[in-house]
Amino acid sequence: MDLKRVLVGIQALTFFSTKKLLFGSKAVITVLVALFVAAVMVYAGSQSNNPLEDGTNLMDTLILFFFMPVMAMIFGSSLIRDEIDDKSITHVATAPLDRAFSYLGYYLPLGIATAISMVAISTVGWLGFFGQHGVGPDELGIYLEFVALVVIGSFVYSSLFLAISVLFSKPVMFGLFYAFIWEGYIGSLPGAIQNASVKHYLRSLGSEWVKFGDISRWNQASSASSSALVLLGVTIFFLILGTYLFREKELA
Amino acid sequence: MTSQENGPMPIVQAQALSKWYGQVIGLNGFALRVIPGITGIVGPNGSGKSTFFKLILGLIKPNAGSISVLGEIPWKNAHLHSSIGFCPDFESLPSDSTGREYLTLIGKLQMMHGTALSKRIQEVVKLVEMDRAIDRKTRGYSKGMKQRMKIAGALLHDPKLLILDEPLSGTDPLVRNDLIDLIKMLNKDHGHDIIVSSHVLFEIERMTHNVALVYRGRAVASGDISEIRNLMDRHPHNIIIEGERVTALAKTLLDQDYVVSVAFNDNKDSLTVQVSKPDDFFNGLPALIDKTQCSVSKMYSLDDNLEAVFRYLVGR
Repeated sequence: MDLKRVLVGIQALTFFSTKKLLFGSKAVITVLVALFVAAVMVYAGSQSNNPLEDGTNLMDTLILFFFMPVMAMIFGSSLIRDEIDDKSITHVATAPLDRAFSYLGYYLPLGIATAISMVAISTVGWLGFFGQHGVGPDELGIYLEFVALVVIGSFVYSSLFLAISVLFSKPVMFGLFYAFIWEGYIGSLPGAIQNASVKHYLRSLGSEWVKFGDISRWNQASSASSSALVLLGVTIFFLILGTYLFREKELA
Repeated sequence: MTSQENGPMPIVQAQALSKWYGQVIGLNGFALRVIPGITGIVGPNGSGKSTFFKLILGLIKPNAGSISVLGEIPWKNAHLHSSIGFCPDFESLPSDSTGREYLTLIGKLQMMHGTALSKRIQEVVKLVEMDRAIDRKTRGYSKGMKQRMKIAGALLHDPKLLILDEPLSGTDPLVRNDLIDLIKMLNKDHGHDIIVSSHVLFEIERMTHNVALVYRGRAVASGDISEIRNLMDRHPHNIIIEGERVTALAKTLLDQDYVVSVAFNDNKDSLTVQVSKPDDFFNGLPALIDKTQCSVSKMYSLDDNLEAVFRYLVGR
């Protein structure tokens, strides 16, 4: 294996696809979501008497709970699938780069682009809420903790939705089901069933870090170390699954 | 020639190759031996030409039989792609990118970089005459420009073997002439072995006399084109011409001895020309277009006469 060739190929794909995701047609969705989040958080901030608690709860429910899986689904379920459908994947599939590495060249830009979008959305929301009440060390801490959570979430969800996009010919349908029904509903049910969602482990990590809001008092959280291990395991599992499916896939 | 077992080392060899998609048969017991030079793959739409190319490129795997390309099995063989350049018959250019961005990605995937890559990009865009449009978004390119840019992408890493799937499809007569000259030059002056497909035998004939006829998933004949051509000359050839002010062209065409008939289609911008000597027609058309000052936007050949020849060849 020519390592240099592999690294140059992955780097080229990462640069190309990150640019495409961040500045292509999907950029409009990021802007619209950011505007929506800003509007909600500015209004909520103006009505809040306990900004540290209320602001943290909004960052948790609106951004981490809802938009995190949705944005990853929007980016992830279309990246490879769109290229397979419009056949623009041909230039990658006919390059001298093993498909296992090409898959990594799709995963990295997906994770990076999702993370950048989510950090931008989180920043806008955080500024919209806390900017009205003054920013101190506690507010800055909340921001950094949620930024860390959305960055981790971006890479975990990206591995999942990218594998889905290789596995299914209509990944958006399955992605919508997963993001809204599984993560949104099953992930918020009481009892052990919620442990079967990515969100549970992200919030578990958050409950260790964040000192305000409902998340800090969440009594169903798994331990931080086991949550980190599960998230890492899920990411690796879906990366291996996606890589295998992509290598075996016939591009007719 | 494509069929003999002796002679030069084959660049592509397919034996009893079959590929099916569910109930649909792409190739069925396909056997072909392609030697260096330019080889034309001719067959009607849906005959299996693109399936054959996808098997050459390792994009799909055969259900039965075997295929070797430059002595290697192509499925899951990414390394082989450093020796192959591919120009697909569909639009594969990323629409949000400029020609330069597209070629840069292709080059980097081929492990080219820095000034060597920039220099090579300049060389190939000059070769395909796209140097003035290289910094434009590809979505704004005409059909001919897209074909040229795809050929530039296929050429960038200077591969031994070029696979051109219907490179003339949908282009106007002048672009067609240019592309045919370019393909011949790539073989003659640059030493690329080329496999080029078309559903129009007479287009291929202008590039090479080494042809394989593909019909219903089989290579029904291969060898020198002259025998096949004689057979085809007994069947009038239908060509559709679309453009502006083609009425004057229609009148002029009727005066040519190789034209059997000219008929307008649904409107005055579209003609069906039936010709007895396609070669004379294709060679003479640019001068007639110039003389009548009409504008031809599209020209394509119907498969019907080719179908008749294929039916004859397979004894149906």
